[in-house]
Amino acid sequence: MFATFDKYRQVFLTGLQSNIVYRFNFAVRGFFSLFHLAAVVILWSAASLGGSGGLGGFSLGQTITYFVTLLILQFFISAFNEDYQISEEIRNGLINQFLLKPINYFAYRFSIFVAARLVSGLVVIVPLLIALPVLREYLDFPHDYRVLLFGLPAMAMSAVIQFSIAYCFGLLSFWFLEIQGFVILSMALETLLGGQMFPLDLLPEWAYAIARCLPFYYQMYFPAAIFTGRLTDPTLIFQGYGIQAAWVIALLLVNQLLWSRGLRRHTAVGG
Amino acid sequence: MLHYAKIWAASARYSITRTLMFRGDFFVWSLVELFWMAVNILTITVIYEHTQSIAGWTKYQMVLLVGTSMLIQRFLMGFFWSSIFEMGRNIRSGNFDFYLAQPGNVMFMATTRKLDPDSLLNSLVAAAVVIYAVHQLGLEPSAGQIALYALMVLCGVVIHYSILVLSISLAFWLTSAQGIEGLYFTLTEFSRLPRAAFTGIATQMLFVWLLPVVMVTNVPASLLVQGFDLTLSAWLFGSALVWFAAAVFVFNRGLRRYTSASS
Repeated sequence: MFATFDKYRQVFLTGLQSNIVYRFNFAVRGFFSLFHLAAVVILWSAASLGGSGGLGGFSLGQTITYFVTLLILQFFISAFNEDYQISEEIRNGLINQFLLKPINYFAYRFSIFVAARLVSGLVVIVPLLIALPVLREYLDFPHDYRVLLFGLPAMAMSAVIQFSIAYCFGLLSFWFLEIQGFVILSMALETLLGGQMFPLDLLPEWAYAIARCLPFYYQMYFPAAIFTGRLTDPTLIFQGYGIQAAWVIALLLVNQLLWSRGLRRHTAVGG
Repeated sequence: MLHYAKIWAASARYSITRTLMFRGDFFVWSLVELFWMAVNILTITVIYEHTQSIAGWTKYQMVLLVGTSMLIQRFLMGFFWSSIFEMGRNIRSGNFDFYLAQPGNVMFMATTRKLDPDSLLNSLVAAAVVIYAVHQLGLEPSAGQIALYALMVLCGVVIHYSILVLSISLAFWLTSAQGIEGLYFTLTEFSRLPRAAFTGIATQMLFVWLLPVVMVTNVPASLLVQGFDLTLSAWLFGSALVWFAAAVFVFNRGLRRYTSASS
């Protein structure tokens, strides 16, 4: 048990080192995100002025806070290019070495993912700190430590969902030469139903009810809504945990299935 | 001129043949673009459930604005994107040599080589969005207005093209122009916003005047909504010329530095 843990701890540490190499890339990406935040502030400020002052019962500050939280979460838990990396390893035959070793490929990849997000998450704080003087007047976090207590488990499960979906797409390389189309297609869905274009509670009630059942809701929106005080009812939060956990299990099962089926098709070329 | 039209037609034929070879790809990518356009329209619909206007623009005026932005983007993607994007990689790898040996202006050859029929198909969808918005607004644009709108959209495509060529040309100096596309998509986010929403002086200077990404969509859209404004239209036309000249200049300067890569 301990030996297993130690194995992936080493993978994590190596992942940490190789991702620290890319710290500048992450920082540049973080700075680009500031442009996105600027567009968000401009759009929602104008929208809030054009309405009766609020946006679906939330102030402009709360809305902007939501988008800032989303940005931070993105660098801490979302999959960046894990799908392509996995796809590359399959196509180049690099995956063959894992078939001969006592290593679980999912666990191996997940350890690297955690290391990578730790680095990118910490790096994104720099551009945000630089923007803080401007952003400060918009930030409006709830003053309640319980949001952290409720939010962190949701965030952890979101990370697993994020990674599992990317892993799924990566494994599609067993069947398809190119996965880019699928990835970008699902990105459009994630962007919309994960709450990156607007907080999902602004949706009409029926649409929101549907969104709550889909995995995308639990990819990003769910923890963000808890952290920013948009979702406060404990019953709803615990219900959310339940659905989220169900999606985690379902995705892990799909991954397992794709992996075992895919390996049957796999012909080890090169390596 | 006829010479270039022939070359372009040959590239177009090649691209269409290629698309016919990879039909599945064509289908997926058409769907991708369609999805992204739907995401933008849906976002507007949702926001207008909670507000009456964004910087003075009503819902369908916003749809018109976003439709215009999509139209310009589809044209850029359809006619130039793949070629310009590959140009950066070719400069690094040395494959750019290939274009120097071709019978025509290097910038023309390198930026018009590949068409994306999926984007061109989706430009029809974008046009349909614009027409739908015009219809919902009860506008009846005159033939002159439509012609001017088309001209302004053309100016927009020229400006986007020039900005993109300019940024990718940096690869002549930096050898790597990775990440530029990300910046481009970030900038297009601003092109979906009404000009009046830019209230800060800094943002107004940067995105409205310095980088005309906002004007590129606002001028044609306002032309249909509020009527013809000579100053703004002339300004957009002028900046299209200036940006294009800058792109040509920087590209040719870069070309002089190109030393090819040995292999």
